[in-house]
Amino acid sequence: MVKDGDLLAVFNSIHRVLKAEKELKARGLPILLIPAPRSISADCGLAIRYAPEERLLVEKAMAESDLLPVEIYVKRGEEYVKMQGLGTGG
Amino acid sequence: MQTIDCRNMACPLPVVTVKRALEGAGGESIRVLLDDGAPRENVIRFAAGRGYRVSEEIADGGYALVIDGVGSAEAEDAANPRKSGPAVILVASDRLGDGPEELGRLLMKNFLITLLDLQKLPDRIFFVNTGVLLTTEGSELLGALEQLGNRGVEILSCGVCLDYFQRKDKLSVGQVTNMFTIADALLTSGEVIRP
Repeated sequence: MVKDGDLLAVFNSIHRVLKAEKELKARGLPILLIPAPRSISADCGLAIRYAPEERLLVEKAMAESDLLPVEIYVKRGEEYVKMQGLGTGG
Repeated sequence: MQTIDCRNMACPLPVVTVKRALEGAGGESIRVLLDDGAPRENVIRFAAGRGYRVSEEIADGGYALVIDGVGSAEAEDAANPRKSGPAVILVASDRLGDGPEELGRLLMKNFLITLLDLQKLPDRIFFVNTGVLLTTEGSELLGALEQLGNRGVEILSCGVCLDYFQRKDKLSVGQVTNMFTIADALLTSGEVIRP
């Protein structure tokens, strides 16, 4: 479900992530809400997946609507690498 | 040894054809002719996932795979008669659970996406009632269901339900099925899971 280079914005509040999903979709951004992969989330975390070319618009939208994720990961090969920058929302 | 020609077939037909051939081969090996690329990769992945041994030769402008008759999945089922027969999932709703609609839709979506991470996949997934909203145009699950299809899981949607929701021409993944096939599968399968 997650391709090499894709980004995952991980949330640990279902209500916030559903709001974020709604907001991003209202802006026409091509995102998908998926279960966070087990390697990056112990409990039932949810993540918004987006392609690298959407990064600017998606992260801007999250910041503008004050719906920031806890962490953002990028898929490299078989692994997820945590990114610095946006985050510590929830 | 039986040879089946799966060249010039679009995915997931090669995997489905090989799966049926193995089921009918009664433990005998089969030889499969395939095009390079996704057909070959998907069939190798499917066969390896079921524990079959696969050997490969280049042949006739494509590939010939020889798949050794007894998979570890079959051996396991034979040793455990309660579980004999393939597992079937019945998706009878686009929602999982009886709570709020939004949560139910999210849970069903998560469940189907999570199947991609599991070792053991069902043989078939039947979609009935509002379940057909997940296999038709506009569903967020099309990518995930296509991937399941490429791994040998048959995606089957009830024709009556598609018609009821006026989405017969909007089926985007898998095939149309009918109540006879569904009823037969429910009665002859090893396990039926209804999320």
